[in-house]
Amino acid sequence: MRFILRRLGFYLVAFWLSITLNFLLPRLMPGDPVSRMLSRSQGQLDPSQIDSLRRLLGVDDRPWWEQYPEYLWRVLSGDLGISISRFPTPVTEVIGSQLPWTLLLGFTSLVIAVIIGNLLGILAAWRRGSVLDSFVPPLLIFLGSFPYFWLAMGLLYVFGIGLGWAPLSHAFSVGLQPSFSGVFISDVAAHLIMPALSIVFVSIGGWMLAMRNTMIGTNSEDYILMAEAKGLRPSRIMFAYASRNAMLPAVTNIGMSIGFIVGGALLTEVVFAYPGVGYQLMAAVQGLDYPLMQGMFLTITGAVLLANFLIDIIYVRLDPRVRVS
Amino acid sequence: MISARTRGRRFAGALVATAAATTLLLAGCTADTSSSSQGGDGSGTMLTIPREDMGTFSRNFNPFSPNAAPMTQQAIYESLLIYNPADGSTVPWLAESWEASDDGLTLTFHLRDGVKWSDGEPFTATDVATTFALQQQIVEGSFPYVERVEATDDLTAVFTLSEPFSPGLFEVGQQIIVPDHVWADQADPDRFENPEPVGTGPYTEVSNFQTQSFDLLPNPNYWQPDKQQIAGVRMLAFAGNDGANLAAINGDVDWAPQFMPDIQTTYVDRDPEHRHYWFPPTGSMVNWQLNTTEEMFSDPEVRKALSLAIDREQIVDVGMAGYTIPADCSGLSGSYETWKDASLDGECGWIAFDPEEAGTMLDEAGYELGSDGTRTTPDGEPFAFDISVGSTSTDWLSVANIISQNLADIGVTATVNAPDWAAVTAGYEQGDFDSGIVWSDNAPTPYQYYRSLMSSETLKPVGEQTFSNYHRFSDEKADELIDAFAATSDEAEQHDIVNQLQQLYVDDAPVVPLFPGPEWGAYTDARFTGWPTEDNPYATLSTRSPTTVLVLTSLQPAA
Repeated sequence: MRFILRRLGFYLVAFWLSITLNFLLPRLMPGDPVSRMLSRSQGQLDPSQIDSLRRLLGVDDRPWWEQYPEYLWRVLSGDLGISISRFPTPVTEVIGSQLPWTLLLGFTSLVIAVIIGNLLGILAAWRRGSVLDSFVPPLLIFLGSFPYFWLAMGLLYVFGIGLGWAPLSHAFSVGLQPSFSGVFISDVAAHLIMPALSIVFVSIGGWMLAMRNTMIGTNSEDYILMAEAKGLRPSRIMFAYASRNAMLPAVTNIGMSIGFIVGGALLTEVVFAYPGVGYQLMAAVQGLDYPLMQGMFLTITGAVLLANFLIDIIYVRLDPRVRVS
Repeated sequence: MISARTRGRRFAGALVATAAATTLLLAGCTADTSSSSQGGDGSGTMLTIPREDMGTFSRNFNPFSPNAAPMTQQAIYESLLIYNPADGSTVPWLAESWEASDDGLTLTFHLRDGVKWSDGEPFTATDVATTFALQQQIVEGSFPYVERVEATDDLTAVFTLSEPFSPGLFEVGQQIIVPDHVWADQADPDRFENPEPVGTGPYTEVSNFQTQSFDLLPNPNYWQPDKQQIAGVRMLAFAGNDGANLAAINGDVDWAPQFMPDIQTTYVDRDPEHRHYWFPPTGSMVNWQLNTTEEMFSDPEVRKALSLAIDREQIVDVGMAGYTIPADCSGLSGSYETWKDASLDGECGWIAFDPEEAGTMLDEAGYELGSDGTRTTPDGEPFAFDISVGSTSTDWLSVANIISQNLADIGVTATVNAPDWAAVTAGYEQGDFDSGIVWSDNAPTPYQYYRSLMSSETLKPVGEQTFSNYHRFSDEKADELIDAFAATSDEAEQHDIVNQLQQLYVDDAPVVPLFPGPEWGAYTDARFTGWPTEDNPYATLSTRSPTTVLVLTSLQPAA
């Protein structure tokens, strides 16, 4: 219990630090949202209206030390303000309409990559020198080291344009109404396959190699020899003895990855025109949309910290050594 | 809202520009020319249009909002008149006619009879008065010259101006009009998201609004029912040019208003019978601006010499992929074609390519060529400066590189400085730059253009933020002419003044003009016909300009 409380305290400090950085960093960038809007409009906005546009869009030009306490209070009370680049839509609504798709894409690809990657890693380490061990890791690393958008575009070209097996863009077919019908769900799944696959291809090699390497270490432990000597079934030794221990670093990685899912997959969204927070985040940064940027960074920070906290708790359960020390 | 090719699109598009080119080339190789069917919902053929700089849509149809959903100001709401930059004509729309009083202080619009809002209410002059009151309330400082707007009867709206201001006719005339019976009672009109808009436009009924697509169905009470030939307008959201281009290449969309590299091979050649593009040079004039507060650029002879040294043909062919034409003597973009002074043609000695003459002029100005092949300023410093341009605008970046090479040939060292656009713009605004590639103002009359180029009203000292006249130049003669232009509404007189301004521009060389920005537009007539073309320029192919509604009311389903 004391362990968990101590971790909780640490996370609170980390949270405060990160929201303070979220507040400060965007304000250190040159320009302000309205002058950016103006320069993009190439003379279509009247410069004499700049000041009133600033007021209209709620651009706060007080010094930062006056804004900061108010910002902290608003964050704590859950009020993220109104987006400047999408005025008058509230930040929560902007994020809310995109986050579900980001989470769907992120979790699907993470779950697939983790399961397949770890299984391959376990098997490769268990049968060292086999075909699986010698050929698959280099192949996956090769795939993973492709420039990301290149791989995504290759997939899009081969399966989308060339073979016509997969839809080219968007999260579901245009003209369809979202509902819990079989038609809609299968349509969403069809649109999800390629974006998810492109992420899986890139990340799976890392999972496999990490698992394989820790597995090899665990395999040489005395308790594995002991288990073999007892005459346990190889599959039981592999999963219940070796991989349970080798799993620990992977669990940490999963926690990190869950947190980062919330940031969205910018390039996937751009290539497959998939809705999500990644592109919105880039647009917010470029347009200096402080409220939206802060809202998104806050969501990401919150998710990373929450995921890590959960992983810490799971760790306590998985690894008795943590409880003792 | 924006008719010129905007940098917003550049920001988004260039992120994976290389990748875009790759897929487009790949896509161009396949020979699949079958156009896939529309949407697949069988509800008649929708006119499908991509929006390439919005990954997702927000249901905001507030026409006063700078971020309203696409087509709010094009298909849902309409204006009193429409100015078409492609042929310089003015089309009466919600107003049938208008006139200015002799003193220029009153502007009277006679509204079209029989126009109804999409909810069946009649359109009257009260709507016009309310709209302007709202616009001035929401954005303080808009229409500063409009003192009040009155509805003298149902179909007559009278604008009283505080001073004669002739360019105001187009600004007032192209203001989007909203219904009084919906907007007058809005407590917070700037925050109203207007999810079910009531407009006079041809396609007003929002249907099936999703994060990445929505449909606009025909207005049941439109005043030109015979011109609502299409079943509806369908907008699709794309995060960047790539997706939108792919959809266009694949035949999923009918209209492609975004930038497409190598459009002939990647788009047109896949279905040459139906696919066409037309890039009229009606965007804003793209200039190479020299910071005239710097000693070396304060001499007009130096600015002219530098202009002579650059090869505009090469800039247009290589830098802009042949998508536009070189600037001419007037320094005016194609949208001001009717204002150009034909007698100036060939008169201006400095908008041509003549490196030898450039060298001679620099020698005379005191920037002499040293033995090492580089020039020095009269103070003995090396003649060297930066050319600023945003790194994401790959086309403008290569334009800057060509300029740099051209200048190296005459011994001038120009270094291309390409950080993020935000940093470049911040430098322009503060006057903290040597030279840079920049857009200019583009409005129905050249008033705004000359005002931002040569007027002392827009001139701010270095260090003070400004949003026009970045190059910080003014000329008293220009001030007089610009004021005289605003004061008269006599067209012949206006033309005479603009001719004088063109002559002044030729004498002063406030900036170095490069090329008029092209307005992208491509379409397929496989499903719809009646598109504007070079031979029939009744509108441009932009989907965000006031002329868009002209296209929407001209298209017909293909037989």
